[in-house]
Amino acid sequence: MSRPTRRGRWMAAGAVSLLAVTACTPGGGGDGEGEGGGEMVWAIGGSEAQPGGVHQKVAKLWSEENPDNPITIEILPDEADAQREQQALELQAEGSNFDVLGMDVIWTGEYSVNGWLESLEDVRADIEEVSLPGAVESAIWDGELWAAPFNTNAGFLYYRTDLVDKPPTTWEEMCEMAIEIGEQEDIGGYIGQGARYEGFVVNWLELYWSGGGELFNEDQSEVAFDVDIATQATEFLAEAKESGCLAPGFNTALEDEARNVFQSGDAVFMRNWPSFYSVVKDGGTPVAENFDVAPLPTFTGEGTISAAGGFNLAVSAFSDNIEGAKEFVVWAATNEEVQTMLATEASLPPTMESVYEKLSDDPVMALLGEVLPDAKPRPPAPQWNEISVEMQRALFPAYNGEGDPAEASQSVLEFLESTVE
Amino acid sequence: MTATTTAEEKEPASGGSGRPARARRKEMSETTLGRVFVTPAIFLMALVALFPVIYAFVISLQGYTGRQNEGFAGIDNYVTALTDDRFWTSLQFTLIFTVTSVAAEFLIGLGFALLMNQAFRGRGLTRAAILVPWVIPTVIAAQMWFFMFNVTPGFINSLFGLGDFSWLGQSGWASFAIIFADVWKTAPFVALLLLAGLQTIPGDVYEGARVDGATMFQRFWYITMPLLKPAILVALLFRTVEALRVYDLPQVMTGGAFDTESLSILVQQYVVRTPDPGLGSALSTITFILILGVGLVFVNLLGKDLVIGEEDSK
Repeated sequence: MSRPTRRGRWMAAGAVSLLAVTACTPGGGGDGEGEGGGEMVWAIGGSEAQPGGVHQKVAKLWSEENPDNPITIEILPDEADAQREQQALELQAEGSNFDVLGMDVIWTGEYSVNGWLESLEDVRADIEEVSLPGAVESAIWDGELWAAPFNTNAGFLYYRTDLVDKPPTTWEEMCEMAIEIGEQEDIGGYIGQGARYEGFVVNWLELYWSGGGELFNEDQSEVAFDVDIATQATEFLAEAKESGCLAPGFNTALEDEARNVFQSGDAVFMRNWPSFYSVVKDGGTPVAENFDVAPLPTFTGEGTISAAGGFNLAVSAFSDNIEGAKEFVVWAATNEEVQTMLATEASLPPTMESVYEKLSDDPVMALLGEVLPDAKPRPPAPQWNEISVEMQRALFPAYNGEGDPAEASQSVLEFLESTVE
Repeated sequence: MTATTTAEEKEPASGGSGRPARARRKEMSETTLGRVFVTPAIFLMALVALFPVIYAFVISLQGYTGRQNEGFAGIDNYVTALTDDRFWTSLQFTLIFTVTSVAAEFLIGLGFALLMNQAFRGRGLTRAAILVPWVIPTVIAAQMWFFMFNVTPGFINSLFGLGDFSWLGQSGWASFAIIFADVWKTAPFVALLLLAGLQTIPGDVYEGARVDGATMFQRFWYITMPLLKPAILVALLFRTVEALRVYDLPQVMTGGAFDTESLSILVQQYVVRTPDPGLGSALSTITFILILGVGLVFVNLLGKDLVIGEEDSK
């Protein structure tokens, strides 16, 4: 997932969507070329799609190697929801302007059910061979592979090395340390993504999964939601808020607010994505020299669990150059040079397993290599957005003392059941 | 208009054969020509303004699963919308937001307008300064107030020594912060409209009142307020209609958390985020009817007022 952000990117999103809208009009490029050849368009958003970003470099590399099938980037807005809307506008109209779609891992089901994607079953073996299993899983819906993994993501526990000797392994232990050290130092304890948005669902799921819970069964045909574990996870958060384990501002924090709190030395622990490692490291505050990253704790103290994010690359069913687009997405997923570039130039975690061994000297890559095998994708169900909104609506008030955790869990269960009927 | 038409219609009966024809030709050419001139504009307005409204209504009668049309659904979407707690919660927030923000904006705006209407040194500068919040785009103002109110960086908390008070992280105060930001942003707009109204009141009315011994309060209550009424109604109309469709402030400042979800956020969610175009259109149609109703009440009041004003001037 591109770290789901809402604020702060509005201006950029607005400006870019204007551009994107004009670019969507007929003649925006990519159409009118003959069958099976010509220029392709890769619709992807985020800062790396901007000039100078790593996505641009990947596109350039491909175009140099394949002058007959060059690819250019159609820059979509920064915000994931806005990217999805731009792509939906084009695909709903069966437009051929986008050949390759940069697709958040949670959109797979929705896109494939709508018939917007070309199946990648015929190249599945090539992709599965080199990619992380979790990343491949996020591109599968209804047993079929719909996209090639491109980059992945996982949550880290950032902690202050000057205040914490050894990172905690259970959530309870973390909270005890957070309260004790927080009181001593007169700073906040734990900060994460607690505002009411997709990021909160990710944070909550990491608690829920680490207690042994599941949302669906293996093939996503039945609900496997455990109300007791869900209640435990929500109660943990509610108590953490009451006891002062959660840093002030937890329930209004997105990724960047959390980073801000941690970076300015106002929190002992932070849950955040790996890309913030370099931000804090180069931030110039005293924290820059006094922090490290560890796997997220669990309720049992065994292992770790993290919600996987990231972007997959899919081929539009309405592309004029389906073969070329397929070659491109497979190349981007399986070419070691491309995958290494993601890590070294943009701190985007690659999906290719071998890259992690190659880059194991880098602390972020080393920890990712450790954490990613246990990372779980959010279910790529067609109704994921609905599910996420319902979870936010039920669980957010519950942990803020405005609802009953057990009732909230029950209502999540009922909603999940309504989606598989 | 009615008077002229009847006068001209009577003419043919009493006059000769040549003149009525010319008169009719003249009458035809005026109204018909007028209509011809107006037609493109009306057509364009209907296309731009009316078509989406009707189209949304048509869609609101269709059933959808995700983005896939499932055929005619009658009033199902309206039943779903009106039986959903979420609709009523967001309606409640929207109404509270509208009433409190418009009331506060009106009072502060009126104060500003009266101030700006006085002759004093630096009046031009004051006028410009008061208008600054209004020229800042709402999304940016919202983002700014988010930074001001939020615990981090927490400018307001540091300013008033409130520690880690979470304005945006609890019910009640979250609504307060949004209303505060809106008042800050649009009170200048109300002030501008009221100032325009104030400047149309001739000075000799006040002179006369002063000669008759009216106090400052009496001059304000019996002269300023009645003469300012059309401007007040226009300002309230604009603000109420805008406040009812508020989207950007709560979306950016709280994301709709802590009961600050406005009707427009709800509509946006069903149209964009979790697409159900039928339900989304039903919600936007309900919002439209609500705003139309409020608008009509104002236009009605305004119309009466304008008629009275005209009669007075005759």
